[in-house]
Amino acid sequence: MAAPPTAASLSSQSPNLSHLSQEALEELKASVFQRLHPKVYLEKYLDENVRPDGRGASDWRNVEVNVGSISTADGSALVRMGNTTVVCGVKAEIAEPELDREGDGFLVPNLDLPAMCSPRFKPGPPSEEAQVLSNRLNETLVASNFLPVSTLCIQKSKAAWVIYLDATCINYDGNAFDATLLAMVAALRNTTLPQATYNEDLNKTFCLRKAPRVSLQLAASVPLSMSFGIFDSRVVLADPTSFEEPLLESTITVILGDKNKVVTITQVGSAFVIDDGEVGDENDSNSSEGFNKRADSLPVCIQAARLRREELLVVLNKV
Amino acid sequence: MPPRRDGRRNEETRPLSLTFESLARVDGSARFSFGNTSALASVSGPIEVRLAAEHPSEATFEVAVRPLSNVPATESKAIASAIRATLEPSLILTKNPRSLVQLVVQALSPSAKHTWNTTLAAAMINACSLALLNASSVPMRGVVAAVAVCHSITGTILVDPSDDELVDVKSCGCFAFIFADQVGVDDSRSDCVWTSWKSSGGLDEAEILKAKEMAQRSAQTIYRALRKAVANACGLEVDESMTPEEGKSESEESEDKMII
Repeated sequence: MAAPPTAASLSSQSPNLSHLSQEALEELKASVFQRLHPKVYLEKYLDENVRPDGRGASDWRNVEVNVGSISTADGSALVRMGNTTVVCGVKAEIAEPELDREGDGFLVPNLDLPAMCSPRFKPGPPSEEAQVLSNRLNETLVASNFLPVSTLCIQKSKAAWVIYLDATCINYDGNAFDATLLAMVAALRNTTLPQATYNEDLNKTFCLRKAPRVSLQLAASVPLSMSFGIFDSRVVLADPTSFEEPLLESTITVILGDKNKVVTITQVGSAFVIDDGEVGDENDSNSSEGFNKRADSLPVCIQAARLRREELLVVLNKV
Repeated sequence: MPPRRDGRRNEETRPLSLTFESLARVDGSARFSFGNTSALASVSGPIEVRLAAEHPSEATFEVAVRPLSNVPATESKAIASAIRATLEPSLILTKNPRSLVQLVVQALSPSAKHTWNTTLAAAMINACSLALLNASSVPMRGVVAAVAVCHSITGTILVDPSDDELVDVKSCGCFAFIFADQVGVDDSRSDCVWTSWKSSGGLDEAEILKAKEMAQRSAQTIYRALRKAVANACGLEVDESMTPEEGKSESEESEDKMII
C-alpha cells in the first residue's frame, strides 16, 4: 500500500512550492496521489461510499439536452452528461437504393472522438474506440428500428433518403456511448426533411423549397442507453467518468426501449460481484469460501437502468 | 415444440468441428466450426512488442480480425475489441511483461449482411481458445467457450441458430463463459465473461436470463469438446467418468484422477 505524499515532504523536496497555502498543498498532494495510484485513490473514496466527483455508486450525472442549435443541419442536438459533451448533426441527401433493398433508405451514424476532447486521443485517423462505438451505435439503431429505413424511401428502386448522423465529442469525461445515443435520438427527433417527389420523365428527384418540411417517421419506442462498470468485483458504478473507466474490470451497457423492453445488453467481463452480506446458509460443498456470496449484478443493473430511463425520457421530452 | 429445420433439438448446437491447423510460422493455430460457420485463429506470443505498445508489468494483448471478403472495416474492429475483452480475463499476462501476445482471427464464412454475426463471433472466440491451448505459450487462468443463442418469432429459444434460422428471429445474442479445471464444467458456477444481446422486438429480462442458462449448458458441451480435441492431439484419453448427474461432491472427491 503506497503512502500518500505528505504536505511537509512535498514542500521540503521542492522549495518553490513554499509559496502555496496549506490548502493548496493538500490539494496538490491529493492530485499527485490520484495520478500515481489511481486504483488506491478510488478505493479510498469507495470505502467511504462516495466517488471522487461526490456521487454515490448508483448515482447518475446531470443531463442537459439542447436541440436545433445548428441551423445549417437538417437536425441537431447537444448533450451534456456531466462533463461529457457530444454534438450531433443530421444531414440528408438523396441516393439510389440498393438493388436487393429497393424500398429502403440509409441511416449512417458515426461518432468522432477528436484529439480535442481528451488527451488520450491523438490526431489522425479514427481511433479503435471511435470505430467500435460507431459500430455499436449503428447496431443499436438498427436493432431498435428507431428510424425504419423503409420510411426513407422516395421512389422504390429509384430514390431514397440517406441520413448522415454525425456526432462529435467535444469533451470526453467517460460514458461517451450513452451521451452519443441520447444526442442521436434527440437529433433525429429534431430533424425535418424537405418534401421530395420523384419525376419519372426526367428521372430526377425534386424538393419543394416552399413547402413545409416534414419530420421523420420515428418509432414510438425510444432506445436509451445506461452504462455501468464493476470495480474490484465489489462495487457497481453507474455512469463511469473517464478517471474511473480504465480502473473498471467489467462494463455493462443496457439499452431499453418503451415499456422497459430490452433492446441490447452488452456485458464485457464478469458480472459477478462479491456480496459482503450474509454468508450462505446452505451446506455447500463449495470449497472456496467467498463463493456463495457472489451475486450476478446484471439484474440489478437492468433494474437501475429502468429507473434512469424514466428520468432521461423526461429530459428528452422537454426539448 | 416445432422441430428445427435441420432436425436438431432446441438446445443442440450444429456439429462441431475442431482441428489444429499447424500453421508453420505462428506459435499456435486452430480452426473451429459450428456446422458451416467457421473461423481460423492463430496466436503468436510472447513475442517482441513495438515500443509504443510496450507495457512495463504485463504482456500486451492484441487481436486482429479479418473478414472473409473485403478489407477489415469497423465491424471487424468491433468484433476484435469484443474478442480481446472476452479473452483477456482468461490470460495471465503479468507473467511476460514487455512482450506481445498477438491473436489473428480469420473468418472462413461470409459475414451476414443485415444482421449481427452472432454465430461467427462465437466460432471466433472458440477458435481463439483452441489456438491459445495449442500454442501453450501463454499461461491461462481458464478457457473461454462461447455460443450463440436466438429467440425465434414463435418465442422458443434456440441454441446456435443456422443462417436460415437467423433470418426471421426476434432477438439473438452471444454468451461467453470461462471454464477452469473443475469450475463450471458440471455445474453452473462458470462466469459469464461476455454477453452481447440484440433484440428487434424488445425482450423481457426473464427471457434473456433463460437464454443465458441454455447458453451456459451448451458452453459446457463446447468446453468438453475443446478438452477432448486437446487430449486427442496429445494422444491422451479424457476422463469421461465425471458425468453431470454425479454432482459437485463427486467432482471434489475424484481429484486424484487425471483431468486435462
